[in-house]
Amino acid sequence: MFHFILADLRRNWIGALILAFLIALATALGVSVTLQERALRLGSARAAAAFDLVVGAAGSETQLILSSIFLQPAPLQLLPPATLSALRADPRVENAIPVGFGDFVGGYPIVGTTGDAVAMLGGLAGGEGFSHLGDAIVGSQVTRDIGDSFHPFHGSVGEAGEVHAHVEYRVVGRMAPTGTPWDRAILVPIQSVWAAHADHDHEAETAGLAAVAHVPHDHGHDHGPGFAGDPVDEATLLSADNPGVPAILVKPKSIADAYNLRQQYRTETTLAVFPGEVLTRLYGTLGDARRVLGFVAMGAQGLVGAAILMVVAVHVLQRRRQIGALRAFGAPRPVVMGMVWLEVFMLVAAGVIAGFAIGYAIVRGISSHLAKSSGVAMPVEFQTADLWTLAGLLLACAIATLLPALIAYRQSPAQALRA
Amino acid sequence: MQALSVEGLQVRYPGLPVPALDLAGLRLEAGEMVALAGPSGSGKTTFINIVTGMERAGAGRVVWNEEDIAALPEGGRDRWRARNVGLVMQDFHLFPGLSAEANVLLPQRLSRLRLPDGMQARARDLLARVGIQRPDQLVGTMSRGQMQRVAVARALVGRPGVIVADEPTASLDAEAGASVASLLVDLAEEAGSTLIVASHDERLIGRMSRTLRLENGRLAA
Repeated sequence: MFHFILADLRRNWIGALILAFLIALATALGVSVTLQERALRLGSARAAAAFDLVVGAAGSETQLILSSIFLQPAPLQLLPPATLSALRADPRVENAIPVGFGDFVGGYPIVGTTGDAVAMLGGLAGGEGFSHLGDAIVGSQVTRDIGDSFHPFHGSVGEAGEVHAHVEYRVVGRMAPTGTPWDRAILVPIQSVWAAHADHDHEAETAGLAAVAHVPHDHGHDHGPGFAGDPVDEATLLSADNPGVPAILVKPKSIADAYNLRQQYRTETTLAVFPGEVLTRLYGTLGDARRVLGFVAMGAQGLVGAAILMVVAVHVLQRRRQIGALRAFGAPRPVVMGMVWLEVFMLVAAGVIAGFAIGYAIVRGISSHLAKSSGVAMPVEFQTADLWTLAGLLLACAIATLLPALIAYRQSPAQALRA
Repeated sequence: MQALSVEGLQVRYPGLPVPALDLAGLRLEAGEMVALAGPSGSGKTTFINIVTGMERAGAGRVVWNEEDIAALPEGGRDRWRARNVGLVMQDFHLFPGLSAEANVLLPQRLSRLRLPDGMQARARDLLARVGIQRPDQLVGTMSRGQMQRVAVARALVGRPGVIVADEPTASLDAEAGASVASLLVDLAEEAGSTLIVASHDERLIGRMSRTLRLENGRLAA
């Protein structure tokens, strides 16, 4: 029986291959929509899970999360300096680290923060922490080695900026991988960011550090090359005369503290959000898009399925003489029907399974590309639910492919031989 | 060994005023060799379809060794045919992509889970007997005469009580036709099978012990 099926498939191998390939592509379309959405969702959720609470100046919650966790540049309002000192002194807070952005180098965002940010994100993989204003710690994906020096650029990644020729950082440490966009960040002491921008007009306080880039520089001004060697002075964090920061990442001591803090910092001038909340809202939107894509994919699959059933039915009709002959020579009707069914089902099932593999490969490709450019590790994984989808799909195919088998079943051998 | 007795058989097709086949009574003895002659459309193929159970008889009895196959349902007729009939058709109905041996054994393989012991050896013997030297040769690469000889081996491999051939030589040249004709007659004789051959080939008809002439669905005298 397998003999016969294989011989028949071998004889029509080009057609069979094309059919299986079409089915594979249609399946891959649906699979990749599901997997890619899941990878984006899990990846961003895991990236955000490292951050408990984000405090920023009043404004868009989504923008605050995108800027502080996903390091997407945008002009953010600055928090008054008192907020940072208050949070760092708060007994409910285990850690409060300032995040200042607005500069970049070689495609990597430079984040002004404090030494304890490194510990909070998972520690160092090599080198040492900040001790001087000119020290920098690179994320695990940054292609700079310990000992390299660089001048930061004003502005944000992808925009032409103006070089801060007077500021030079030297890489002293490398962070362990975190699976977050911070793997692509270069961490520098926040005090150095303040110092680098100190000469700018204090409009900065209302426009965010990034906006500072657009304020013309006075290049005649002497910044003093020495600041890179100055020790990091943690006291400035708590003083009231620093320019302030656009965002503060807060690690509360307990869940209750987290809710208290969020409550307390939701004021007219400040904003406190759990990243999870904001992401959930974003997923809601993403989910709608996925549903639409899912319907499109299902429609495509349905059309391909119908077209293929047609082709197969025509093929079976063309083979009716052969099928009739099988019965004339003594093959029982159920066996003939089973053979036709098995042959078609094998083709379709091979296509469906290959489609899952192709979809997985496509999403792996897209996700690794996305991970490289965003730093967000995207987990591409099948879940138990996908097994059920696969089983359901195969069952549907098994039923649909009964149609050509029934055509083969219905005709008497004499009829079939006459055709 | 199968004997046939047909009584009151009428086969009608929708839209035709006269029956395609109308046999009041006919008896073929077991082991008899019968030629079925007559012009095209005289009912030869219908007769073959009815006596092999490939088509349902409208009215009447078609009794092979006490078993009325006209009364059997389609599945029952299929099973009866698989057990008792070896078929040889004008256009062979061999399956390209399979070897000669696989073709000979295909009906046996499809109608049971496992090939009976010795069936494969019997297939090889028969192929050698009909002059096919290489049992593993693909039938697609064979001449028409060779193909029909493979078909003859296929008809005989299950030791059927009846061998039915429909125009077995019509699509072959004279030489190949003659060799197929003698193979059919000799092998049926050796096996003691009843042989029914529908043919226009007078040489083949001449080798039969009896000739039935059909005209407009009826037996001519």
